[in-house]
Amino acid sequence: MVASDIRSGLSSAFEAVIDFCPTHTHNVGMAEFLGTFEQAVLLAIMRLRGDAYGRMILHVVMNSLKRTVSAGAVYTTLDRLESRGLVHSRVDEGTPARGGRPRRYYSVAAAGARALNESHKTLSEMWSGVQWPVEVKR
Amino acid sequence: MAGGGQAVNARLGSPPRPIEWLIERILVGADSQTVIGDLHEEYVEAVRPRLGRVRADIWYLRQVLSLVPRGVLRQGRMRRALLAASLFTLGSCCWLAVMEWVLRHSGYLFRSAMDVSIAAVPLATVAALLLHVSARAERWLWAGAVALIAVGAQTLIQNTHSPHFEGFVFLISVAITVEGALMLLSLGRSGEGTHRLGRGSS
Repeated sequence: MVASDIRSGLSSAFEAVIDFCPTHTHNVGMAEFLGTFEQAVLLAIMRLRGDAYGRMILHVVMNSLKRTVSAGAVYTTLDRLESRGLVHSRVDEGTPARGGRPRRYYSVAAAGARALNESHKTLSEMWSGVQWPVEVKR
Repeated sequence: MAGGGQAVNARLGSPPRPIEWLIERILVGADSQTVIGDLHEEYVEAVRPRLGRVRADIWYLRQVLSLVPRGVLRQGRMRRALLAASLFTLGSCCWLAVMEWVLRHSGYLFRSAMDVSIAAVPLATVAALLLHVSARAERWLWAGAVALIAVGAQTLIQNTHSPHFEGFVFLISVAITVEGALMLLSLGRSGEGTHRLGRGSS
């Protein structure tokens, strides 16, 4: 479990480095590139609708990916998606169960919905003509 | 007394105080309280009742540690470069100290002591970047930065004029000098505003 935490942490850090790199050309006259984890986070926000805050997003992402995910990986991805304008966030009041601390609710922006559609379209086109599940004949 | 009892009961189901202190040091900025609140809520409502105290505390610590790379990524380019230089010099100094002990050439005790002393500066810098330091501790970092530049520059000159030029010593002395310079720049910038070293962006 610790190994998977480190892996997901490194993976999100790597994606952030790629994002930071000036030679990386996402969103330059082509479909917005979304990684699997980014798609999982965006879809979790869409599923949760008005109840999408960090803790709930973490739960939905873990359920959809069927593996343990660290909080750090989810928050790093949310930061990146927000800096790319793919999600919006607002801060709301806290509850006693959180020691009175506020909640940050996320919603998918128009650019985020477009990016998800593009990713789905690209994936569907890649799979066209290939029967699923893939089998190798011996 | 009753209020005190309630506070103790509330505290009993809460995450351990030392780890909460750690996360409050690691996370800074506008959304630190929202993240801490999310973890607190998950700990109290889901993890602690399901796993029990010890395993829940381990879970909480793991989540806190997983937030360290996020803290690093949210820092400015210069501070990330400083962190990289600090980790490099820290690793190099430890490696040199170990090699001195293994090879045991004459004067190895003094040289290992020097390596360990130099390693204290990048170690303090890494701690300052990850956990946010107070203004008083920052003064020591100024002194450390000046010492690093002095040691790095002196070793660089000595090695360049030596008949036995050593590539690794050259590399480390350059890294130490660069780290000292980056520290001075970062500290200078953090002194301009309200942000301390490791807080905000450069």
